[in-house]
Amino acid sequence: MSNSLTEGDGELLRLISRGDETAFLAFYRRYQGPVYRFALQMSGQPGIAEEVTQDVFMLVMGSAKKYDPKRGSCAAYLYGVARNFVLRRLEQERPYLTALDDPESEYADVAADGPDALADLTRNERVESLRKAVLALPPAYREVVVLCDLHELDYAEVATALDCAIGTIRSRLHRARALLAEKMRAEERCAV
Amino acid sequence: MNDNDLKLTEGLRGLAADGPREAPAWIQERLVGELRRRSRVRRRNRRLGVGAAAVAACLGVMLWVRSAPVVPAPSLARVGTALALNKVAATQSPVKPTVLTPTYERGAEVAMNEATLNFYSLPDADDLPPIESATIVRVQLPMSSLRLMGLPVSDDRAAESIQADMLLGQDGLARGVRFVQ
Repeated sequence: MSNSLTEGDGELLRLISRGDETAFLAFYRRYQGPVYRFALQMSGQPGIAEEVTQDVFMLVMGSAKKYDPKRGSCAAYLYGVARNFVLRRLEQERPYLTALDDPESEYADVAADGPDALADLTRNERVESLRKAVLALPPAYREVVVLCDLHELDYAEVATALDCAIGTIRSRLHRARALLAEKMRAEERCAV
Repeated sequence: MNDNDLKLTEGLRGLAADGPREAPAWIQERLVGELRRRSRVRRRNRRLGVGAAAVAACLGVMLWVRSAPVVPAPSLARVGTALALNKVAATQSPVKPTVLTPTYERGAEVAMNEATLNFYSLPDADDLPPIESATIVRVQLPMSSLRLMGLPVSDDRAAESIQADMLLGQDGLARGVRFVQ
């Protein structure tokens, strides 16, 4: 039996590919929280977050050997997989979702700037309105904000997870923060 | 950093700290169940693979033996000291192997014909069940197979063929071989 609590990710994945349950549990406990939170923050729906978490670890179970440590950290690999599942799921459920996903939609603005914005911006309300604002961002901006600002990954890791250049991450993050700041200012103006 | 940026940063920190930190427990249970199911399938497939390889090997040997040209079998055969074949039961045929019915004659003298040659026991034949009924098939083997019996064969004659009798048990597995020429 492996001492899975102290094993590195690569060793755990090697053991998982051989069906080692202890290694799988250690790996799952290490990464389930970040994967679940990422999916929840990207989708805003616990149901999707749960399904995506399952899908990500099912994939790990079936193809643990495919992870290449030379291409980046295991966390970045998992975020990348989770991101693909989330986007696919959002695409499938688009007709049934609220318009929060579509930044061009007038409903998105109503939801983000709705009645809550008229109330005092207590801390909880500010977090809630910011959550809505993040969910209203286009997916390409949203995923950068979630990974850089909410999960505190560095640019290189995010670039690996999203399979794009670091410069792209920087520019998207800058743009996403500008959009969020604009939302916050708009809410404050409404509150006043 | 202006006031708006500070408020945004503070808000994002609050958002990062907010919400559930863990996935629901039932996901872990479901995943572990799936892992166990896949392990069972993998073990079963491995066993089936080994079994299939063994069957394929046996069939390969059988086909190889049966596809070789068959000539009328010899009148009598003897295997080692335990088994004696004292009766030729089948009709001699140029295309079918001759079936010999063996009997055990414990302690009795083995009937021998001057033409009878000893069978060499094949490797692993000791692990097979005892012979209850046997079949002798005459085949052509490459001369190089004599080396398996420890007999010297020069390289220039290794490709030539030699006639041999294969002794097959009731399960179709080869127990012994003897060289006719």
